[in-house]
Amino acid sequence: MSNILDTLIQNERVWQGRRHKQSTQPAEPTGYQVLDNQLGGIGWPRGALSECLLDDPGIGELHLLLPLMEKLSSNGKTVFWLNPPHTPYAPALAREGVNLDQVVMVHTDNEGDFLWTLENCLRSPATGLVMAWPGKLRSRDIRRLQLAAEAGSNVCVLFRQRRYAEQNSPAALRLELEPDHHQNLNVKIVKRRGSWPGQYCSLAMAYRADLAFSEAPRVVQGPWPACGR
Amino acid sequence: MLWLYLHFPHLLLDHLSRSHQSRSALVIVEGAGHKVIQACSTAREQGVQAGMRLKTALSLCPELHIVRSDQQQEARILEDQARWLYRYAAYIVLVPPDGLLAEIGSLQKLYGGLTAVWQTIEQGLNERQLNAWIAIGHTPLAARLIARSGQGECTSDSGHINRTLSQLSLFDAGFEEKACLRLQRLGLNTLGEVFNLPPAELARRLSPEVLARIQKIQGTRPDPLAPWQPPHRFRQQADFVQELEHSRGLLFPLQRMLQELEDDLCWRQQDTDSLLLILQHRQQEPTRLRVRTSGPEHRAEAFLKLAQIRFEQHPLRAPVTAIILAVTRFIDREAPDEQDLLGDCRGLDEAWHTLISRLQARLGSDSLTRLSPQADHRPERAWSASDVSQSGHRTPSGAVARLPRRPLWLLKGPLPLTAAPAIWFSGPERISGGWWDGQRVHRDYYIAQLQTGQLAWVFHDARTGWFVHGWFG
Repeated sequence: MSNILDTLIQNERVWQGRRHKQSTQPAEPTGYQVLDNQLGGIGWPRGALSECLLDDPGIGELHLLLPLMEKLSSNGKTVFWLNPPHTPYAPALAREGVNLDQVVMVHTDNEGDFLWTLENCLRSPATGLVMAWPGKLRSRDIRRLQLAAEAGSNVCVLFRQRRYAEQNSPAALRLELEPDHHQNLNVKIVKRRGSWPGQYCSLAMAYRADLAFSEAPRVVQGPWPACGR
Repeated sequence: MLWLYLHFPHLLLDHLSRSHQSRSALVIVEGAGHKVIQACSTAREQGVQAGMRLKTALSLCPELHIVRSDQQQEARILEDQARWLYRYAAYIVLVPPDGLLAEIGSLQKLYGGLTAVWQTIEQGLNERQLNAWIAIGHTPLAARLIARSGQGECTSDSGHINRTLSQLSLFDAGFEEKACLRLQRLGLNTLGEVFNLPPAELARRLSPEVLARIQKIQGTRPDPLAPWQPPHRFRQQADFVQELEHSRGLLFPLQRMLQELEDDLCWRQQDTDSLLLILQHRQQEPTRLRVRTSGPEHRAEAFLKLAQIRFEQHPLRAPVTAIILAVTRFIDREAPDEQDLLGDCRGLDEAWHTLISRLQARLGSDSLTRLSPQADHRPERAWSASDVSQSGHRTPSGAVARLPRRPLWLLKGPLPLTAAPAIWFSGPERISGGWWDGQRVHRDYYIAQLQTGQLAWVFHDARTGWFVHGWFG
């Protein structure tokens, strides 16, 4: 019995308010110091699920993962994109330094295939990162994926709708992503294994479109007002 | 020269019972279907014998499984055995319908004596669950006659072999019926007695053919035989006595066939990346399933897993009467890379190939793609998707740095812009091209933030209006 308790405490499944210690779970740095600090100085957990909850694409969610993608792909690990909602634009990825030979797109037709593929990717030692865009996931499916993730030591990020933030999930890390009007990405930690949730940070993402002058955006008086009306 | 002859008394029966799981009685009947020619041990226990009429056999054993003999099938099975024997001996002659001849005089040194050759082959036969009568002779015909009479022994002593030969009856020696009768009328009953006759008299009184046969047995007349060469492909067939309705039942015979493929590939020092499985049905066209691996492979276990996934994806259309495994594409094995001492990298590479093969087997090979940039100004054409198994074309790093700033997401087709963006950032960037292939594009691109906070790549086309073409993800 005490064995089980020890395991629970060591794996940080039970949060201990008083004896908080540095997490020992394996992880990959996010590449954003501000976010790493909020995540206990470690980053994306390996061998566990992470969730990014967001409403619409185009708020810098891929740039959040780019440093990791770049690092893993240059180390010869494969990055899987499972059912992305749009086409990842190859020239832009190449420009950011991602080795496209290590990037594999997977398209599945139904939910059964999706879960099967994700499980297989997670269990393989060749995989570095899996980014998946599931439709609706049942809680028991996420649990199944979490077990598969534990069998491997890869980073797995599920991109889901923000309305699922209310639903509980066995994922080790849950981030809520929101844009603001200065092209920053606001990251709210909904859940983090072994710690309190609720931390909050803002990442500068304006550079993703070369908007160095984001302080005072140059308003192009283009043909817009004339057109469309 | 020393010859070894393998006589398979019931080859078809052995072949069938290897993939026949239940131990029910099984007989082979001749082409017309009236007479039993081979009976399995279960059938023999119940009193069924070779040479019996089928009706009699059925009344003795009502649950008899009956298979009609087929010359083509027998020839194919014999060739399978030759393929196996070719691993041990180089000079092989097929003696249809049920015999194999191998020259073993030259093998004694390699195996360390005649006994070792004999044991190696006997062991191989046991592993393959085949019954064969083996014999050694100094001429091909002598070896054959002794083997068929079932008196073969592991010896190269010519005196002993001659004694065995001379005790054979004329009927066993394979003379024509007419010649047999005439010799018997002369009071000759065994081969030895015929050997003692003066050859000139024999030719005059009987026929030159009989003399030729006797001389071939004795080795005084040449008996040229063309050696068999194995074809450069692999083909194995398992025939089922009872039709199989579930794909799970196919895995058992398939496993044995794949194991033989693995042995064959190991022996050739080759790999393959594509298997063809043909499932034969009684009424319908055969089902052809192609199992591909993403890299060279030889292990039966890996092939079996992929085949299992294929079977799960493609339920059987009809009951299966036979399964054929064919491989025509062979790849030479590469020498292991010396730089990688601990083999970590190869392990990872292998894991990658295993994973990709599994995914392709279940999802179809179109579902996995790899992206690469293309030299074109039009965003739709500036990327391409290619098959995962092909290694990508590396873009020179200098060219990558010169690529313009582009969004990470490209929409599958431009979406009409419904509301005015909140903030405009940069633009216009004009992209115009495609007059050379009819896909004309003439657009002004802007970067703008929409009301929802999304950073979008929008364009204005003078003819059709405003569209979103990408997201800065």
